[in-house]
Amino acid sequence: MRTALLAAAACAIAIGVAAGQAGKSTSAAMALPDWSGVWQMVGPTVFDRATVQPQNGRAGDAGVREFPPYTDEYEAIYRKNIAKIKDGTFPDPISVCGVPHGFPRIMNVPDVYEFAVTPSATYVLAENGPGVLRVYTDGRTHPPAEELWGTYTGASVGHWDGDTLVFETRGLKESRDNDVIVDRTGLVLSDAAKVTTRMRKVNDMMMEAVIVVEDAKALKAPWKVTKQYRKMPAGTWAWDYGCAENNRNPISNSGKTLTLGPDGKPIDKKTD
Amino acid sequence: MKVTRLIAAVALCVAASAPLAAHHSAAMFDDDKVVELNGTIKEVQWTNPHIWIQVVVDNNGQKTEWSIEGGSPNTLSRNGWKATTFKSGDPVLVRVNPMKDGTSAGQFIGAKFKETGKTLGRWE
Repeated sequence: MRTALLAAAACAIAIGVAAGQAGKSTSAAMALPDWSGVWQMVGPTVFDRATVQPQNGRAGDAGVREFPPYTDEYEAIYRKNIAKIKDGTFPDPISVCGVPHGFPRIMNVPDVYEFAVTPSATYVLAENGPGVLRVYTDGRTHPPAEELWGTYTGASVGHWDGDTLVFETRGLKESRDNDVIVDRTGLVLSDAAKVTTRMRKVNDMMMEAVIVVEDAKALKAPWKVTKQYRKMPAGTWAWDYGCAENNRNPISNSGKTLTLGPDGKPIDKKTD
Repeated sequence: MKVTRLIAAVALCVAASAPLAAHHSAAMFDDDKVVELNGTIKEVQWTNPHIWIQVVVDNNGQKTEWSIEGGSPNTLSRNGWKATTFKSGDPVLVRVNPMKDGTSAGQFIGAKFKETGKTLGRWE
């Protein structure tokens, strides 16, 4: 009898502990903000709209530029890129289908976004892709520097500050021959870039990401950029984006973006 | 000559209407020019990263096929387009920013279906 009572008490305690843990887990999950829905970036794909000249300039148009606090070395690189745009020889690396936008560019792309919040990670899903940014919030820290290598979206580790996701991104791939860019005006960063992003829902219809880029090689001071995302109507679909499905704009050897006819052959009068 | 050049006093309108080239540099297109094509739909490639509309322009028996680049089907479908919006054989007027090198290709601005008068995109 005594054994049975002890067993019952042990069971009750175990059930209670389990229930408590489940309750904690549930309440932790419920405390996470609701970022569901489909969202679209506000404005054109100019990364730093606050400094772009001319003010309504579009990324990729000749003469359009922004004013990050570049070091002399990177200002010179940017100017070379701007000159290439004028010559029509500054291909967007994503024209090679399968090349990711990388970070922070993934926060600055057309089409739509979804933001998937889970207790252990938040995923930024850009329809225009491939475009996935993983932000781990499971308590991990960044890998040691010697274990990191440059990747397009780097390694992002974050935590929740109230309803704001704060995350730091390291291990970004250095732009070599413009194989990764920040936007189509020709902005690039180095592999020393470290980016801190604070992301939150401002109201039911607007998300905001405040992005602060530090880069000991490329920047003389932190570079702060704010991006906003407007919620699309309920029921909006995001679709897959199979860039290689029918890419009629390959890049020539000289960096010119070609146009293919329906037969798959270039129709440009000069290909290089 | 059924191809009419409307030298762009409307350049600003055109610039505002041309966010289509999301996947690649748009350096090949002349944003300062608008060409209006009077032709017939041959084929629509409803594909990523861009849709392509093939239009045949018949100039007194001399047929020229134009390749017209649009946005992604993803974005266009969210703006009311369907894969069947243009059908093979539809007589249309289509306005494009042409290629700078004079090639028979361009970036879609807007279209008018000649049989119904319905318009798509920017058509003022």
